[in-house]
Amino acid sequence: MLDEVDVLIIGSGHSGGMAAKVLTEKGISCVMLNAGPVADIRKDAELRQAFTLPYRGFKDPGKVPHVFQANEFNANTWVDEKEVPYTSPPASPYNWVRVRLFGGRSLFWSRQSFRLSDYELKGKSHDGFGDDWPISLADLAPYYSRAEEIFRVEGTPCGLPQYPDGNFVPPEENPWCEAMERYRKAGEQLGVPVCRQRSSLGVNGLASSINLLLPDAFETGKLQAIPNVVVRELRVNPATGLIHEVHFVDRISRREMSIKARVVVLAAGTLESTRLLLNSKIANSSGVMGHYLIDQIYGAGIVCSVPEARDGRSTRELMEGAALIPRFRNIQTKAKDFLRGYALNVSSSTHPMNPKNFAAYGRELEEKLESYSGSGVHVGIMGEVLAHHEHCVSIDKHAVDAWGIPVLHIDTRYTDNEFNMARDAVDTSLEMAHLAGFEVLAKNYEPNPPGYSIHELGTCRMGDDPNTSVLNKWCQSHDIKNLFVVDGSSFVSAGWQNPTMTILALAMRSSEHLAEQMRQGNV
Amino acid sequence: MQRRDFVKAMLAASVSARSMLGQNAPQSVTPAVPPPIPPKAAPLPAPGPVPWMRGLMEAKPLPMTPLVPDAVAHTQTRFFTRQQFATLRQLCEVLMPPLKNAPGAIDAGVPEFLDFLISVSPADRQQMYVSGLDRLDTEARQKFGVPFSGVNLQQADALIRPWLRTWMEDHPPADPYERFINLSHTDIRTATINSKPWSDALPSEEDRRMEEGLYWYPVDPDLQRRELRRS
Repeated sequence: MLDEVDVLIIGSGHSGGMAAKVLTEKGISCVMLNAGPVADIRKDAELRQAFTLPYRGFKDPGKVPHVFQANEFNANTWVDEKEVPYTSPPASPYNWVRVRLFGGRSLFWSRQSFRLSDYELKGKSHDGFGDDWPISLADLAPYYSRAEEIFRVEGTPCGLPQYPDGNFVPPEENPWCEAMERYRKAGEQLGVPVCRQRSSLGVNGLASSINLLLPDAFETGKLQAIPNVVVRELRVNPATGLIHEVHFVDRISRREMSIKARVVVLAAGTLESTRLLLNSKIANSSGVMGHYLIDQIYGAGIVCSVPEARDGRSTRELMEGAALIPRFRNIQTKAKDFLRGYALNVSSSTHPMNPKNFAAYGRELEEKLESYSGSGVHVGIMGEVLAHHEHCVSIDKHAVDAWGIPVLHIDTRYTDNEFNMARDAVDTSLEMAHLAGFEVLAKNYEPNPPGYSIHELGTCRMGDDPNTSVLNKWCQSHDIKNLFVVDGSSFVSAGWQNPTMTILALAMRSSEHLAEQMRQGNV
Repeated sequence: MQRRDFVKAMLAASVSARSMLGQNAPQSVTPAVPPPIPPKAAPLPAPGPVPWMRGLMEAKPLPMTPLVPDAVAHTQTRFFTRQQFATLRQLCEVLMPPLKNAPGAIDAGVPEFLDFLISVSPADRQQMYVSGLDRLDTEARQKFGVPFSGVNLQQADALIRPWLRTWMEDHPPADPYERFINLSHTDIRTATINSKPWSDALPSEEDRRMEEGLYWYPVDPDLQRRELRRS
């Protein structure tokens, strides 16, 4: 039996997987802990028709009420809210969407792959709000490049400073579909750039830790992994001020165990990592741990129809396409009632449309669905949420999870900045739709509850000043030198961008720094 | 379509996960605690000389497709009052009638299924249905002098159409009655399309395959399976 492991990695998703790959390829032995089991799709899943399921495909009532993404087919892949509860003020619901299967949320994600720009990394310098990150795009760019290569990010350079170009696999088919071209031209009239999407192709359709990162780590022979163990506490040796022991509980038997580690890399996802540190009562001399919870606003948007694609006239050339409108507000000009900006996801397809888009029923509805099939265009917001000290998580003293671990209390809400941004996003989308000659069928100004984007970030923010930040620019704890937190909790601002590529780049950069520090004997 | 892409992605995932596990099974983690010792040929506490499990490994799977109970049995309703249930039944008939070759909500047993679904749903959803059905019935009596279950299609349209809205996913109308009309419409449609009669009415086996989704069982710890993999 090992007396001590070199590096203990907690979490197996994108960030833990990247840490494992980088560290083991540099010859460092790692043990990875994961709170859930390894899924084997051939044993754990089956193709079924909805009528064979207990609730006819309706979401099992009350099972995961805060996971809007859940349905009866996938309900068992999300963390059960009864097994691992969390609390929030009744007037401020939070959607905490979690996966504990091995590979974490890297198993299920939308693949949008963006770089942050210095408009986000140096946001305070640009508009005076919040704080700058201690790093810039120039620091991160080499790591983005390598992460993009591993994930095979498909994209087309645009040359826009707010939408930094990357190391892209060129798209196979290049022509815009006509619907996107019309939306692009409409944008031109309003000074709104309509660009190509950027997304991870991965390998064989999957862009996950379990196929792009962890296999390389296991290949080195330096990685070992334990599924089904839930970490309860990190313990610091008072003599050295370093973490020396990690305490966990077996998910099934509830046997309590501990393991000694030279270094701990925390990669459990922003809020689980923060919960573990708060429960351990460590690494928070700044007092900012748990504060500045951020994500992105989703849910506001419009649905339209392209009249020329109706009544059986929909073709791939006309309708099969997608576009990304990167942030355009508050770059050269200043929006009147909000800071920062949002992006818009635009997609059009030859698929049938959703009945919710029609105020009709019965035969009339069926006729509408048939007529409009293949003519739909969807536009949805991804908007930056501002970081406020009072938007925070803490330990709920009155509730514990299935293993007796105190749960998180999440207290956050959107503010006028987010609501005004959502309004502008919908109004701009509508204006462009009218210019493009689309018929607008439905619109929604109201963002989904915080958390819905599954992009929670920022509760262990990085910074140069140990008095105002939890981590340094290497994602290393200011207080505890052998603790690294490589998931999204280090973010200082959220940006409008899906954070996955940034998490990967940060985890890579941090892990390389750690490896070098270990080589020099500093950690 | 999204669901099918997802299935493809996950099948790919399983292959990778499998090969990953396959590569590493032999050099697996040094367990902190020795694994449980598998029972050797110790006799089971059987009542007779023959081991209980004998022959099961050799048995062929039964040539059966499980029958869903709806195919032969009726759901016993118990949540809505008789009046509310009659209103719901009429609402199903109006909103989702049989069209072309497809069954309607009544053929698909939707009123009975919704009685069950709402009975096990959170209180706010129950309340929305109960007060929505009551109001629909009251309005029918006030406007036309008959219960909603007795209105004709034209009268039903006059009661329902003013409340129909277009809306985006996760954002149904906020007004409670508008919410009821639009959400119950969605529920009735979904319960119809997800029914066995609907599936049976699809023209081909391929159409039925298109309707399939990847259902995940509870992913429970699979210590035993891992042992099997190794052997």
